[in-house]
Amino acid sequence: MTWADLLQKIYDSPVGTAVRESGTLFPWIESLHVLMITTVVGTIAIVDLRLIGYGAHRRSARQLTADLLPFTWVAFALAVVTGVLLFASNAVNYWANGPFRFKLIALALAGLNMAVFHLTTERKIVEWEDALPPPPAARIAGATSLGLWILMVFLGRWIGFTISS
Amino acid sequence: MTLHEFSAELYGTAISRSIRDLTWVIPTTQSIHIVSIAVVVGAALVSDLRLAGVLATDETPQTVVRRYLPWLWTALAVLVATGTIMTVGEPNRVLTNAVFWTKMGLVLFAFVLTLLFRLPILRADFRLEHARIRALVKPMAWASLLVWIAVIFCGRLIAYAI
Repeated sequence: MTWADLLQKIYDSPVGTAVRESGTLFPWIESLHVLMITTVVGTIAIVDLRLIGYGAHRRSARQLTADLLPFTWVAFALAVVTGVLLFASNAVNYWANGPFRFKLIALALAGLNMAVFHLTTERKIVEWEDALPPPPAARIAGATSLGLWILMVFLGRWIGFTISS
Repeated sequence: MTLHEFSAELYGTAISRSIRDLTWVIPTTQSIHIVSIAVVVGAALVSDLRLAGVLATDETPQTVVRRYLPWLWTALAVLVATGTIMTVGEPNRVLTNAVFWTKMGLVLFAFVLTLLFRLPILRADFRLEHARIRALVKPMAWASLLVWIAVIFCGRLIAYAI
């Protein structure tokens, strides 16, 4: 089976077909997708801004992350689920769409940035959690994350304007 | 003049045509609109969850609200500005759209709710335990979150109700 065959199979699947042909499923799933993305970006922005050096509602970066990341993760999981459902409804065309591909690349880079931060600088967070400004590595991680997520919002919106039905 | 007639007149103006003719304006404005929504969600989520007693309960309500209320107001200002650009550019899309007006009503409601329940909290002598409104603070915090969620759904569904 080629990649093109797989995309076609996803498009033709019961789930893909249902989302595509229902007048209500796509709009509601899409709206939930937008809500989840705004929740991810909104909560991650607070953490990222703190990593860059802007104070939040508490001084400790570690405690702030503990406060907010559970919400970020739940929203992200739902964003992925709704995203997969949306993708299935028009798999072939989404895959061929430039902004969509860039959005996936940005997502992968954001994940990579987060993983690197988690495995390195964040390991020693107890040492710098109250420091303002934070260490340079933390500031770079925060700025990269925020930049990528804002980019993803723009790319996501551009998909809507360039996708073929 | 009816809403339809006003919308048609607005559609024909030079500024409306310019917004539509420069093809990047509307998607860019919408994207800024969405980023601002994210700021509202972040600010409102943390503030409302603190008032609901769910998050950061070791910080005072004043500390949390004071930190995020300015962000909320700034984001709302950007939302109104970008929303105005979108409305002027495509009046036919929103001015005669019931979902759009529902959204406007909900935004107004959330705005008033925020004013009524956040500003008193910022006063130096405010104590949540002694406040006359304390019985209402938690339910109003959850209500506020639900209204913002409804606003976001309405926002996306505008496109499907044209």
